[in-house]
Amino acid sequence: MVEAAVGAASENPGPPGWLAMALDVEPFDVRPLLARAEDPLAAILTRAGSVDFGGFLVVDAPFNPTPLRRVLAAQGFSSYGRRLSSSHWRIFFHMDGGRDWERDAEVESGPEGALTWREEDGLHIDVRKLTPPLPMLAILRAIEAMAMPEPLVVHHERVPRFLFPELAERGWKVARVTEEFADVRLWLEPEA
Amino acid sequence: MFAGAFMMGAKDRLLPPSVPYRFFATAVVLHFAGWAALLAGAEDVPGFQGGLGPALAGLHLMTLGVLAMTAIGAAFQLLPVATRRQLGPVWACRLTWWLYAPGVAVLGLGMATAAPWALHAGAALTVAGLALFGVLVARNLLQVTDLPSVTLHVWLALASLAALAGLGVALVVDIDAGFLGHRASAAAAHAVLGGYGFMGMLAMGFSYVLVPMFVLAQPVPDRVGRTTAAVSLLALGLGAGGALAGQGVVAALGGLAGLVAVGLHVKGLMEVLKTRMRRKLEPFFRLVKAAWALLPASVLAGVALALGAPSELVAPLWGFLLVFGWLLSFVTGVLQRIMPFLASMHSGADGRKPALLSQLTASRPLAIHAACHGAAVVLITAGLMAPSPLAVAAGAGLGLAGATAFAAFAVELMRRYRNHQRTHPPQDNGELARC
Repeated sequence: MVEAAVGAASENPGPPGWLAMALDVEPFDVRPLLARAEDPLAAILTRAGSVDFGGFLVVDAPFNPTPLRRVLAAQGFSSYGRRLSSSHWRIFFHMDGGRDWERDAEVESGPEGALTWREEDGLHIDVRKLTPPLPMLAILRAIEAMAMPEPLVVHHERVPRFLFPELAERGWKVARVTEEFADVRLWLEPEA
Repeated sequence: MFAGAFMMGAKDRLLPPSVPYRFFATAVVLHFAGWAALLAGAEDVPGFQGGLGPALAGLHLMTLGVLAMTAIGAAFQLLPVATRRQLGPVWACRLTWWLYAPGVAVLGLGMATAAPWALHAGAALTVAGLALFGVLVARNLLQVTDLPSVTLHVWLALASLAALAGLGVALVVDIDAGFLGHRASAAAAHAVLGGYGFMGMLAMGFSYVLVPMFVLAQPVPDRVGRTTAAVSLLALGLGAGGALAGQGVVAALGGLAGLVAVGLHVKGLMEVLKTRMRRKLEPFFRLVKAAWALLPASVLAGVALALGAPSELVAPLWGFLLVFGWLLSFVTGVLQRIMPFLASMHSGADGRKPALLSQLTASRPLAIHAACHGAAVVLITAGLMAPSPLAVAAGAGLGLAGATAFAAFAVELMRRYRNHQRTHPPQDNGELARC
């Protein structure tokens, strides 16, 4: 699980803030097209052409489609790629003029569907778009799986109030919270 | 996933603690009053098939005062979190209590004393409170396209509520006007819709969120929730329709469909328990499991009644197993878990260190309550079958003792919560302290 940031993203690790809204977009899965030896580029570009400024496009592919990302970056799309498995990448494109143009993260998907990856400040877990009580379950599972307690950064779409009693019972606390539009982050750590 | 899910922050969904707790506190008080009324009317309980008096008051203090009161408080707090959509303005939630709580108390008084003014005023206020609750919940559900396991059952509960409120008002007005052709049929349909429809569907729907949350497990698959909702719809339609029309066989078929729904529901939740992270089930779960056993027992009693079993024996048994057996066991079990859980959650809402759930919960009163409640259910069931008013009175006395212990648990919870707030000052940890 290695975070590889390039371009403008290197100064700002972790998923971009706009990802929270991109998670609502239905992915365009090009893997069946590729399995039939059909080139999906035209179909992707057609869809990209209909994305307004501020909009999103999400593509599922069997590999990291670097050439495609560069093509769309030239058209003003930032992109964030997640390696969901060895043969499954999900690329989130955001039409913002290409300000935050390319980032990748290798992630692991847990049984609840939460995505985890490691960064310099600790283990990160993204539980956005999961229905209750799956976010709480995924976070507690991540905590209980730690051999040595370390900070856990939670990417959520709301402040998970119902999690707090469970954290307190386990001797953990919420050290810090930042709440922006569509992007709530919580820094969890063991009580001193 | 519904569009615009981000338009509401978590802080918008967190009600002030005074909103859910006013419903819970009222439920705790009326729990005591309900058992006291049953004790006062113990002489009439064996063979009871309706009619004004303490027994009817006790029944409604439990159904409206404890079961529905708890359900409303829990729904106001939990539904917006589960569905991630707003429920309504806080003043409307408070107004619901101001209409409903006095309404139930006055209605109970009217039923116990046969005072027409209290019956009419209590029924009007109660229906107004329930109608406001229904509107608030419906507004929330209309915005939700996922969570079918929860929303489909809550929709069924609201539909049942509308029908049972209409029948309830008709039954109250009929006491003076006498316009109902067959009052017993209307009362039976009212009981089916109230017990299995309104309360039952809320219990089933909320179980699909609460049980996984409390035991830390994967939720019930959506297909299971859709199936139990569909079979429940069939069961309620046949059960209530058959009862209202005086068609016992149709009502019995509804009961059999209800048994299928119950089987699927309990099987789904047992599967949830198998995947749980919390290895040891907490004490409250003993009441939940007892409720799961008493639910099919009540349905079987209802089927027997519909097929012509002696009504003076089976009708009170059915009503008792339904209300005091299944629903009261389930609701007091859930309430004793929700109250400290919400207290712990609110204790950390302003940046304080949250109070530990385990430190807020006084386990001894809860153990006493569970023992008294279980013994009360057994004794009164025996007293209804014997029939023996003495056994019913003894059981009601035990139920009253259990309700006292439950009230002691609630008072101690508030004392510990306030003590924690006094000794733990708020800390600044970013947005959390300002939410």
